[in-house]
Amino acid sequence: MWQSTMPLTFGTLAAFPLLEIHAQFSSMRALTRRKFLRTSILGGLAAPWLGRGAAFAQDETAGSPAGFHEGVSADEILLGTSAAFSGPSRGLGIELYRGAQACFTRVNEQGGVGGRRIALRLYDDGYQPVPSVQNTMELLLRDRVFALFGYVGTPTVTRVLPILKKFQEENVYMFFPFTGAQPQREPPYGEFAFNLRASYREETAGLVENFLRIGRRRIAVFYQADAYGRSGWAGVREALGARGEQIVGEATYTRGAAYGRGMGEQVEILRNSSPDAVICIGAYGACAAFLRDAIDLGLEVPIANLSFVGSENLLQLITDSVDDSERYTRYLVNSQVVPSYEDESIPVVREYAELMDRYRPEVPEPLRQPDYVPFDRSFVSLEGFVNAKMLVEILGRMGDSPSRARLEQAVFTVRDYDLGIGEMVSFSEQRRQGMQRLYYTVVDQGRFVPLDDWRARFG
Amino acid sequence: MKLNMNVQKLFRRPLFGIFLLFGIIAVSTSWVCIATVDSQLSEEYESNSRGIAQTIADASVDIILNRDLSALQSLIDQFLEIQGISYIYIVNEDGEFLAHTFVPGIPGEILASDPADTGTVERVLAGADSYVEVGSPILAGVAGSVHIGMDKSVITLKIQQAVGRQMYLISSIFLVGIVAAIMLMNLAARPVEHLLTYAVQLARAEQEGEPVPGALLERDDEAGQLARLLLYFSRVADPEKAGATARPEAS
Repeated sequence: MWQSTMPLTFGTLAAFPLLEIHAQFSSMRALTRRKFLRTSILGGLAAPWLGRGAAFAQDETAGSPAGFHEGVSADEILLGTSAAFSGPSRGLGIELYRGAQACFTRVNEQGGVGGRRIALRLYDDGYQPVPSVQNTMELLLRDRVFALFGYVGTPTVTRVLPILKKFQEENVYMFFPFTGAQPQREPPYGEFAFNLRASYREETAGLVENFLRIGRRRIAVFYQADAYGRSGWAGVREALGARGEQIVGEATYTRGAAYGRGMGEQVEILRNSSPDAVICIGAYGACAAFLRDAIDLGLEVPIANLSFVGSENLLQLITDSVDDSERYTRYLVNSQVVPSYEDESIPVVREYAELMDRYRPEVPEPLRQPDYVPFDRSFVSLEGFVNAKMLVEILGRMGDSPSRARLEQAVFTVRDYDLGIGEMVSFSEQRRQGMQRLYYTVVDQGRFVPLDDWRARFG
Repeated sequence: MKLNMNVQKLFRRPLFGIFLLFGIIAVSTSWVCIATVDSQLSEEYESNSRGIAQTIADASVDIILNRDLSALQSLIDQFLEIQGISYIYIVNEDGEFLAHTFVPGIPGEILASDPADTGTVERVLAGADSYVEVGSPILAGVAGSVHIGMDKSVITLKIQQAVGRQMYLISSIFLVGIVAAIMLMNLAARPVEHLLTYAVQLARAEQEGEPVPGALLERDDEAGQLARLLLYFSRVADPEKAGATARPEAS
C-alpha cells in the first residue's frame, strides 16, 4: 500500500510545531481535529487540489477507512511513514524502506502478525519539515494508521513530535525514527516515541573519545544548519567539554545541498582553525562534497560522519566522481549504529542478506526514482530491517487483538530480547532506546570495513 | 487640440505655474512619503522583530535549561521563515553561540560584537547586505540573549514600492491636470480669439469699405459686448459714420 506525496499548502500546519512556543499561538494550541479539518477544507478551497480537502472531510465523518479501527482490520495492520523519497537525501528514505519491507514481506508471506499482514502507507516529505508535518496529519486523520514507523531525519521528526503530544489521548506512537537526536528521547516528547538506534550524543561522544585517545584534540565540526546539525554539534560540544576541550572551528551548510555544491568556503573556515579532525553532521550529498573539497584544498585530516549520513551513498558519490577515490576515502571514518552488513556471522545480518536477495524490495512505482539505483546491501537498509524486525516482535506481543492503547505496554514487555544483532534489547518507561552499541567503519578497497585500530589508521 | 499661439502666449505663465505647482507637490509628497514609510516600516519591523525575539527568548528558557539544543535550533529555524528576518542567533550568558542560522559560518562582525548588547544595531556584514539587529535577553540576561537580524533591503524595497505607487498616482493626476488645464485654457481663450478675429475683420472692413461681420455682435456675453464696443469706437473714430447706427448689416 502506498500513497504519493502531498504538496504542502495551508499555513495552518506550518504553525503546528509552534504549539508549545508562546501564548500568541494559544489559539492553535486549542485546535481540535474538527477545527483542523475545517481549516484544511477552507485552505483546500484556495488550492488546486480541492479533492484532498474534501477527502479529509469524508474520512472525518466516515471514521476510519472501511473495516479499520485505529489502523487495524481483520486482516491488516496499517503503519504510516513520511520519509525522504526524493531530493538530495532520497537514498536514506529509500534504503530504510527497502530494509523494512524485506522483513515485512517475509512476515506477510508467513501469515502476518496474528493473522494480519503489515501494510505501510508511504508519503514523501523530501526531508523537509513542513511536508513531513502535513503528511503526518494525513496519516493520522485520513489514513488512521496504527502507528508511525520509519520516519527519516531530525528536522522532520522534531516538527512532528508536538502532533503526537496533541494526539496523546489516541495513543499515537512513533517507532524507530532514523535519527539519533534527543527531542524524541527526552521530555516533553520522549514518551511518544520509541528509538532503537544509538543516539547522536552517543555517536559523537564515541568519535570524540576515539580522536582524543589518539591525540587528535583539535576537533572542528561541519554541520547541517538545522536541528539535526545542532543535535550533533551539541553532542560534540558536550563530549569535548566533559574532557576539558572545546570545538575549535565550525562551518555549516544549508539542508538539501547536493554533491554538486562547492564546500570551499566551509573548508576554508575550518582550515583556519587548524583542526586535527573534523566531525561532519550531515547527509551524504553535502558530506561527500565537503570531503572532496577538503582533500582538494589540502585539509588532510580524519573526516568523520555519523550513521545518518548514508555511508554507501556518500562513497558512491566520491568513487563515481573522482579518479583516485582512495586518496579521498583514506581520511574517512563513519560511525554506525548497526554492524557491518558483510559480517554474516551475526544472525540478523545473515537473515537480512538472505531476505534482501530473495525479495529485492523496491519503493512503489509512484515514489520510485528512475535514476536511483538501490544498493544490494547498506547500513541504512540493515537498520530498516532491524527496526521492522523489532516492531514485528512488539506487534506479536499484543496477540490477536492489537490496539493502540496496549501498544506502549507491549513495548515495555521487551526485556533483554535477542534480536540477533549481538546486543540485548530492552525497553521500559525510563528506557525508550533499545540499543546503544556503536560501530566504526573506514573504507578499504572501495567498501566499508570495521575500524579496529584507530591509532594505526589515524594516529 | 489646437491652441492659438497668441492665446498660448497669454497663458504661458499660468501653465508654467501649474507645472511648477505640480512639481513642488510631487517632490514634497514623495519626500514626506519616503520619510513616513521609512520611519513607520523601520519601526514596525523593529517592533515585530523585537516581539519575535522576546517570544523566542521566553520559549528558549525551558529548552536551554532542560532540553537538547536541537529543539532550540528547530525553534529559530521556524521563525526564519518570516519575511524580512535574515538571521537569528542565541548566545548563552558566556557569549557562546548555542544556536544560529548562519551559513557557511558565523560572520566575524558578529563574533566580534558584544553578545550582551540587546539594543538596536545596524550591521553591514562582509559579502552580504545591511541589517538591523535587535535583541532580547533570556531570563533577564542571566541565561543569554536572542538576536534577530532584519534585512534592510526588504525595508528599502517596501519604501521603493510605496514611493513608486505614490509617484504613479501623482504623475497620473499631473497628466490629467495638464490636459484639463489646456482644454480649459482653450475654452477660456476662444472668445478672445473670436474678438481678435472680429477686430481684424472690422479694421479691414473700415479700411476697404466692406460690410462689417455681425455674428459676434449678436452674442450676449462679454465677447459680444466688447465687439459692439469695438464697433462703436470705430464709428466714433470715423466722423463720417458717427451718426450711423451701430447695428451691423446682415452678413
